[in-house]
Amino acid sequence: MSKPVMIAAALLAAATCLPLVAGHAAAGTASGDLVVYTSTPAKAMADLVAAFNTAEPDVAVSVFRSGTTEVMAKLAAEFAAGAPEPDVLLIADSVTMAGLKADGRLAAWPDAPVDGLAPDSHDPDNTWFGTKIIATGIVWNTAAGVPAPGGWQDLAGPAATGRVVMPSPLYSGAATIHVGTLSADEALGWSYFEALKANGASAVQGNGAVLDAVATGRAAYGVIVDFMAFNAAAKGSPVAFVYPADGVTAVTEPVAVLKTARNPEAAWAFVGWLLSDAGQRFTVAQGYMPLRADAGSPPGRPAVDAITIRTVSPEQLARTSDKTRRRFAALFGG
Amino acid sequence: MAAGGLLLRLAGPAGDPRAARAGLLPVVAALLLAGLPLALLAIEAIATTSSATGIDQARVADAALNTIVTAIISTTIALTLGGGLALLVALTDMPGRRALGGLALLPMLIPSQIAALAWGRLFDPAGPVAGWLGLTSFGGHPLEGAAGVWLVMGLEHSPIGFLAVIGAATRIPAEPAEAARIAGAGPTLALAVAARPLIRPALAAAAALGLISAAGNFGVPALLGIPGAYPVMATLIYQQMSGFGPAGLGDVARLAALLGLGTLILLHLSGRAAGRAARVADSGRIIGRLPLRRGRRLLAVLVWVPMLAISLGPLLALIAASLVPAPGVPLTATTASLDGFRMMVDPRHGALGAMATSAVLASLAAMASVLIAVPIGLFAARGGRAARLGAGAFDLALAMPGTVFAIAVILMLLPPLPGLGVSLYGTPFILLAAYLGRFPALVLAPVMAAAGRLDPAPEQAARLAGAGVARRILAGTWPALAGPAAGGALLVLLTAFNELTLSALLWSRGAETIGVAIYARQAEGDTAAAAALALASLVASLALALTGLRLLARLPGLNAAFGDQR
Repeated sequence: MSKPVMIAAALLAAATCLPLVAGHAAAGTASGDLVVYTSTPAKAMADLVAAFNTAEPDVAVSVFRSGTTEVMAKLAAEFAAGAPEPDVLLIADSVTMAGLKADGRLAAWPDAPVDGLAPDSHDPDNTWFGTKIIATGIVWNTAAGVPAPGGWQDLAGPAATGRVVMPSPLYSGAATIHVGTLSADEALGWSYFEALKANGASAVQGNGAVLDAVATGRAAYGVIVDFMAFNAAAKGSPVAFVYPADGVTAVTEPVAVLKTARNPEAAWAFVGWLLSDAGQRFTVAQGYMPLRADAGSPPGRPAVDAITIRTVSPEQLARTSDKTRRRFAALFGG
Repeated sequence: MAAGGLLLRLAGPAGDPRAARAGLLPVVAALLLAGLPLALLAIEAIATTSSATGIDQARVADAALNTIVTAIISTTIALTLGGGLALLVALTDMPGRRALGGLALLPMLIPSQIAALAWGRLFDPAGPVAGWLGLTSFGGHPLEGAAGVWLVMGLEHSPIGFLAVIGAATRIPAEPAEAARIAGAGPTLALAVAARPLIRPALAAAAALGLISAAGNFGVPALLGIPGAYPVMATLIYQQMSGFGPAGLGDVARLAALLGLGTLILLHLSGRAAGRAARVADSGRIIGRLPLRRGRRLLAVLVWVPMLAISLGPLLALIAASLVPAPGVPLTATTASLDGFRMMVDPRHGALGAMATSAVLASLAAMASVLIAVPIGLFAARGGRAARLGAGAFDLALAMPGTVFAIAVILMLLPPLPGLGVSLYGTPFILLAAYLGRFPALVLAPVMAAAGRLDPAPEQAARLAGAGVARRILAGTWPALAGPAAGGALLVLLTAFNELTLSALLWSRGAETIGVAIYARQAEGDTAAAAALALASLVASLALALTGLRLLARLPGLNAAFGDQR
């Protein structure tokens, strides 16, 4: 589907389905400025805001965007300065959200519209809510003449020597979860990453940079979030994506509202729209796997339950995330 | 108000209290905007103890060594290339010398991150250039890593070598060469004998400037060094700050102070070199050009072809990259897409907003720099001690690597402002504060040079006639300073419009600068958008520079001031 068609379809979906927002805000009633800090790529975020504005035309959304790690660094500085800017956070992973919740930064929405969503996709106290499923797998360049990868160990194998790029946890939230999960694995562990380093793998900044490196022939293989690889392949990039058979890592790109939000009404309207049928359908139109099964899934994807997702307890990941970043940075230099 | 009284006495020339008062405000501004953040950085670096997010010493040592190596190699490249071109332009009858001089200065107009982006695209492993050169694909990028950082930075800084050498090479006296000829030397040797005493100190001064610029360069190592696992201090500071936030600010401050200390040492050396360069006396007669004779055509081809290639190649690669529909798609007439440019003009994507932010911030910085730097420059040139202190603070802030100054400004403005209770961190004002600390020095230098040569008579006449300080400046000195000040302001405008080093650490929602917009699009993999934005900002800068220069040509005093700045 071309981009204009995709947007048109999404706008239509957004316009015809009444968002299932209850409690804090009814559709089309919120207004004013809304500040969103996000790790969603700039273009995708702009499209998302446009779709949201078809349901809530009077909310003026402004966005700060960077990798999750930098967004959090920015926010931490704002907390330190006593002036947190954002109303809404839409970042890669729930581990970071759990940390913010533990610090008492997140507001709760007791009657959030979570019916039909998997219980573990959102916080039991309704402070943060997953919005989609983003799995990290392997992308490879189909013109490179290299064997299609099957599992994570293939990246440490001879066909991949000097040909692998990965996103850095110093930038990406999905990468922090990915490295945190695999390094906690008994079979893989940190020795897996040391093997990658020994095999000449290098770290770039975000997932977008991984895609660029693999598609433009800098590397043959890349560790990357699924939607980015699928979207690029659909637009003609010479890349293919595989969900490794030994299990992918995944994040849910949760959304949350800060207790210090200046426009809570618009903030909850934004959250409600993301979780609504319209919001979820728009998520699919953008090439993401939705959390609501009835929203369909992007063309050419396996069913969510056909993918093995590795999990490590959020508490453990939260405890180790700074250490994970330090150790990764020491190993790969950034 | 004892301190105020002391400053008052120090501010202006002795026996002129009104001038002293007039000089006080800008001096206070200089100390607050440029001096205070650097002082806080020094204190933080000394006082802090290592935090939980501390950096491995090995990483710091690695980055420090890489910084030194990069500085030395890129400066060698810059001086060889720029200096060589300057010798050709100044001393030979090469065809197209004026145009060649223009090409040699071109990198000054192209911000580092755009140059790095363009060079990276030119050497894409799957692209045509890598194919012609027989570079293999899928095993890394030829320019990502040490060699690419050195080369691109060397090219970026080559105008430093060009300007230093051309300044010296156009003043080579004829007598020593004639003496050498009489003693039997050939024309080339005679020229070398005459040129050496001038060129060597000029090169030494340029070397120090090149090393300082290399230590402070962020755009090149950010785009070519980070993906190539070649960290330097500037990128290490940035990564540490964006990866760990203010929790690690103490450690980052120490890193910044370390880099700042290295710069201070270089500054000291550069001051000595510049002093030696200035001591070489001007002579009456200038040496004639060396005729190239038979070698003229061959040399022209040997110089012009690579110069055109390194000037136009990256530009064409940038244009091509802006038209690619998705990464890795071969560019043909049918695949070419204008999506990158569409994104740019679509208000929802904020690219035009970034352009506007940079334009507004740069204009404000240019205007404020003139307001602050002109009085400081005027009083400093007359020996006002506080004014010289203020000028020194501005000079130091400019010489410090941008990353270091950004950390210093964060240290100053992260805590809520006393009295107001709000922090400027996370607002566009922190960027403006950083610009006002760092860029007035660009106005200061030409203004001080012009003020030093100013004829005091008209102002004294105005003073005898009872005119106030403001009126005396307006009537007596402003006409002579307007040109230099406006030239400096144009430099501030162009530098601030294109800068990335400060805003990479200080930008906030609603204040994305054009530099950040390009860098962020590139970092998230939207290369077409990054390239389109880079092209737009290049066009804007070029238009700004040409319009500015045209307007400046109408002002008096400009050539006098900038003639000495070479």
